[in-house]
Amino acid sequence: MTVEAAAAPAGRGGLSLAWRRLRRNPAAIASAIVLVLIVLACFPGAPLWVDVACHHGPNDQNLEGFIHQGGHRIPVVRADGTPIGPGWRACYLLGADSNGRDLAVRILYGGRISLEVGASSALLCVVIALVMGLLAGYTGGIVDSVISRLLDLIWSFPVYLLAVALATTLAVGGLAIGPLHVASSSLAIPIVVIAVVFVPYVARPIRGQVLALRRMEFVEAAVATGAGPVRIMLFELMPNVASITLVMLTLIVANNILTEAALSFLGVGVPVLTPSWGNIIEQGYSSIVTAPALTVAPGIAIMLTVVSLNVLGDALRDALDPHARIRIR
Amino acid sequence: MGVFILRRMVGLVVVLFAISLLVFVIFNVIPGGDPALRLAGRHPTQQNIRQIRKDWGFDKPLYVQYGDMMERLFIKRDLISYQDQTAVLPTIERGIPRTLSLATGAALIWLVTGVAIGVLSAIHQGRWLDRILTVLALAGVSIPIFWLGAVLLYLLTFRYHSWAVFSWIPPGGYVPIATSPLQWAEHLILPWIVLAVVSIGFYARVVRASLLDVRAMDYIRTARAKGLSDRRVLFRHTLRTCLIPVVTLFGLDFGAAVGGTVILIEPIFGIEGVGQYAQESVAHLDLPPLMALTLYGAFFVVVANTVIDLAYAWLDPRTRAQ
Amino acid sequence: MRRTATLVAMLAALAVAAGCGGSSAGSSGGSGSGAPVNGGTLRAGIPDNPDYLDPGLSYTNEGWEILEATNNGLVTFKKAAGGAGAQIVPDIASAMPTVTDGGRTYTFHVRPDVMFSPPVSRDVRPSDFKFSIERLFRIDSGGLAFFTGIEGANAYAKTRKGSISGIVANDAKGTITFHLTQPDGTFLDYMATPFAFVLPTGTPSKDISTLPQWRVATGPYRVSSYTPKQQLIITRNPNFKQWTPNSPNGHLNEIDVQIGITPEQSVNETADGQLDWYFESVPPDRLTELKARYPSQVHLFTRNNTTYWVMNERKYPFNKLAVRQAVNYAIDRPALVKIFGGQGTPTENIVPPGFGSAYKPHDLYPHNVAKAKQLIQQAGVEGASVTVWGHNTDPTPKAVQYMAGVLNSIGLHATVKTEDESVYWPTIASEKGDPQIAFNDWNEDYPESQDWFDVLLNGEHIVNVGNNDVSNSNIPAYNRMIDQAKRMPLGAARNAIWAKLDYLYMKNDAGWAPFMNRQWPKFVSPNLHGLVFNGTYFELFPSMWLSK
Repeated sequence: MTVEAAAAPAGRGGLSLAWRRLRRNPAAIASAIVLVLIVLACFPGAPLWVDVACHHGPNDQNLEGFIHQGGHRIPVVRADGTPIGPGWRACYLLGADSNGRDLAVRILYGGRISLEVGASSALLCVVIALVMGLLAGYTGGIVDSVISRLLDLIWSFPVYLLAVALATTLAVGGLAIGPLHVASSSLAIPIVVIAVVFVPYVARPIRGQVLALRRMEFVEAAVATGAGPVRIMLFELMPNVASITLVMLTLIVANNILTEAALSFLGVGVPVLTPSWGNIIEQGYSSIVTAPALTVAPGIAIMLTVVSLNVLGDALRDALDPHARIRIR
Repeated sequence: MGVFILRRMVGLVVVLFAISLLVFVIFNVIPGGDPALRLAGRHPTQQNIRQIRKDWGFDKPLYVQYGDMMERLFIKRDLISYQDQTAVLPTIERGIPRTLSLATGAALIWLVTGVAIGVLSAIHQGRWLDRILTVLALAGVSIPIFWLGAVLLYLLTFRYHSWAVFSWIPPGGYVPIATSPLQWAEHLILPWIVLAVVSIGFYARVVRASLLDVRAMDYIRTARAKGLSDRRVLFRHTLRTCLIPVVTLFGLDFGAAVGGTVILIEPIFGIEGVGQYAQESVAHLDLPPLMALTLYGAFFVVVANTVIDLAYAWLDPRTRAQ
Repeated sequence: MRRTATLVAMLAALAVAAGCGGSSAGSSGGSGSGAPVNGGTLRAGIPDNPDYLDPGLSYTNEGWEILEATNNGLVTFKKAAGGAGAQIVPDIASAMPTVTDGGRTYTFHVRPDVMFSPPVSRDVRPSDFKFSIERLFRIDSGGLAFFTGIEGANAYAKTRKGSISGIVANDAKGTITFHLTQPDGTFLDYMATPFAFVLPTGTPSKDISTLPQWRVATGPYRVSSYTPKQQLIITRNPNFKQWTPNSPNGHLNEIDVQIGITPEQSVNETADGQLDWYFESVPPDRLTELKARYPSQVHLFTRNNTTYWVMNERKYPFNKLAVRQAVNYAIDRPALVKIFGGQGTPTENIVPPGFGSAYKPHDLYPHNVAKAKQLIQQAGVEGASVTVWGHNTDPTPKAVQYMAGVLNSIGLHATVKTEDESVYWPTIASEKGDPQIAFNDWNEDYPESQDWFDVLLNGEHIVNVGNNDVSNSNIPAYNRMIDQAKRMPLGAARNAIWAKLDYLYMKNDAGWAPFMNRQWPKFVSPNLHGLVFNGTYFELFPSMWLSK
């Protein structure tokens, strides 16, 4: 991510101005609606669909089953392993996968995981980055040096290589540091890995902005009134990096959903038994010729979500600070 | 400037050292990473396993093994893979032109298309074309790159392969440019597009934004006041100024593509560049090539960043002072 | 047990290994229309480098397919498909050996008219065989275990000095004698594997795959150039003169192997007429379509393979017999075969059907989920956490997920662990990995049940690392039966013991849940004929010919 933001403190009144700008942007409204719909479909919608459709959960396999449609008895999975394709019916609306699981149901439940991983890793990433950026930018000196070098180190690592290396290690061995024990099949592993590799991309611009803000009068005034460093960081600096952080949060959720998919596709993301959009693609890709829906459908779900987040983030940035150029690699 | 470069070079060495240590430690704590068992095959005798440990130096202390590996990587240059005992460095050397071919072609496409779309959006700022281009640009950025590759490969080389427009597209692989420039391009066109599509959007957005910024500046107003046409102002005065951030971004992205993103693309198209080698080495937990490749990738990223910082320093003397 | 060189991991490719034909499908290959035509270049493809081109080191079917065409041993499996291909016949030996000393001494006469290829270009001597076997111990060969029964071999393995006392070569008389520490019915099987193929004395004690001056052939072909990751060219061996029908002359002039062709590419290129033959099987995803569009170009070969779940008898909850039996009841074998694209036949036997009278199908575990649940309840292990292990070569991950679903459905709590195939096998075979229940398959090194029971189930061989008895099955009475059968000559009496053991293990030990004998589907060019699938060597290059 690169950010070139004007270091001017965003006034508090800026928020309501931003909100007004945002409301006037049809693309932003549309993407917000799409996002809400996706979240509704995945969270309350998924179990609802299971109840309405044919009572198959996301992991219910049905290799030897049949469905009846138009007077025909169609096997869910044929003897040569080809699963049933999409069709207008409640059961297997988007078809089944090679294990005879309902793709539509899996995509709904998979969305939960992808959104959860994307959002929580983004939150974690931004929180770590905020702490590091504020500390480094405000305190300077040795703390700044150590943090900056650490960020440099992570940053120099090619993103996917680092993510894959970390995830492979953890996925093979699990994590055991003292009393903390994370099983290798835990969802926490991809969340932490994705969060960590993107920290520098968020922390560096925050540090840059804090560096600039530190010399400004309102900070010096706060120091003069005897405010401690923690107080200054929390109450003077934080509000001023809030808008850039908010924009980055939206974009990084989008970015992390893509990263989750990539890692899962490489087989080192979300644990295999938990459906996520990336996992569904990974498991379906080997059958792309006989059952293309298994690859295509979850990809479209990812795209829809990420486009909406990106359009929203873009609009948010325009609304909050039209001069900032923010993006995440 | 000299001091700046020197400091960066020292920094590079430190970063590479730290990364090599990290990789080495990570891969020595993984269960199943024990290469002796793999080398011994599926009918191993205990004697055989002990012997392999000794022959390959796995019984030495870790710091000695680390030293040996670095020596074989940088001085003797005869590092051998645990997976298939092939020489690591020639494989990487073979992969570099492939990866560079992929990245360069893609970069050209995304740069040209990105700038064109950005300019178009800026000219039509606020109108429907701008809106559509914006959403399209963001849509490109939002596609999982491996998915796009996989789906296109399926559609064009299988599903609609019989259509005359697509029948010439090969199902992956790579032909060196020296063998046949035409086949080289034929094999790379799809991966180029895929790699470009996910970046075009960034460039379009950046170009658009900086064009709009610059447009508002004084000297442009002056130019306009002189009676120059809008289009002329755009190309003569504005575009040149606002390409600076694009060039900067480009350096970063090119470094990132060569050093990392190719991991996701190359295996799908079977290009067998360094990205595919990296992906396979991780999958096989094959430490020697992984070590070499990580250092290669990190080197690329750091050098690209240094070049950008230098360019920045050159463009904006204020940063030099810091 | 052999495997393929690991494939391009992203693409669907079959896990591989050796097989054999007990079935007629093995010989039906290549619709051999008309008389064979000599000449032509076979355009072949392989996903990655073959593991080695060194007979002492290669342990994959890709390597063995090449070595079968380039090198020879004292004896060979008959160059034929199906059951006939399991028969051992003389190769460089002028006749089958005389066996004396109660089955502990084998004496071979070496033919005087077999020559090494250039640059060595001299006759093969008995001492070359002795050298080649001893070399295995100096190069950490994966096939070492086959030869530790030779007198003095273990001592030589430790010191690597002097020579193996149990191998006596007499170049003047043209004889070579092997003294074994105890009778071994499958000694000749070992001698027919590429590990025992002959190399000239003086061959360096390191991998010769990329050393052209030491890549010396005795067969009709030789590897004339090899550039890893690029190309491998096999041409005629100028010094070769056919000596018996067991050393066929070959029809092709040349075999050009392009390295780095993915399974998907191979299918497309074969369909487009750019490729004649591919080392690997058809990706399951493409088989149906190919069968429909190119029925005469798809061949299904039967391998001697058992694909099974292995349950660790030392780990809760599989330390209880009832739990292991429950799993056997719970899995739906035809459903699992579907996951493998229908490319196999369901089984609940330990040995594959290709092993003659050693295979007696039994029906101990009809699919019965209710019974399985009941057994789990009786064992008192409901809700126990279980991790199912598997590798990530398609479609194994799907099978692993299926298994997790099944275990959940009978009252256990399952999670999954998958690893890359290259890492997976050593991991499950070591105490550190120590899986609870794992996907496993076994493919013949040589066509005899000993390769199953003695290697996979004999508790005497349990070790900390490189442990092939993954279930840790260890029933002393059965161990003794295995040891007894091993010493017997090949034949019906020996097979009867194996058949009995098959039943006993499944009934009273149930450390395995076998479910499939896997097939080997191939897709080749319409011009390629004479496909012969030998269980040990796989497809035989010298039988292939091209019509044009």
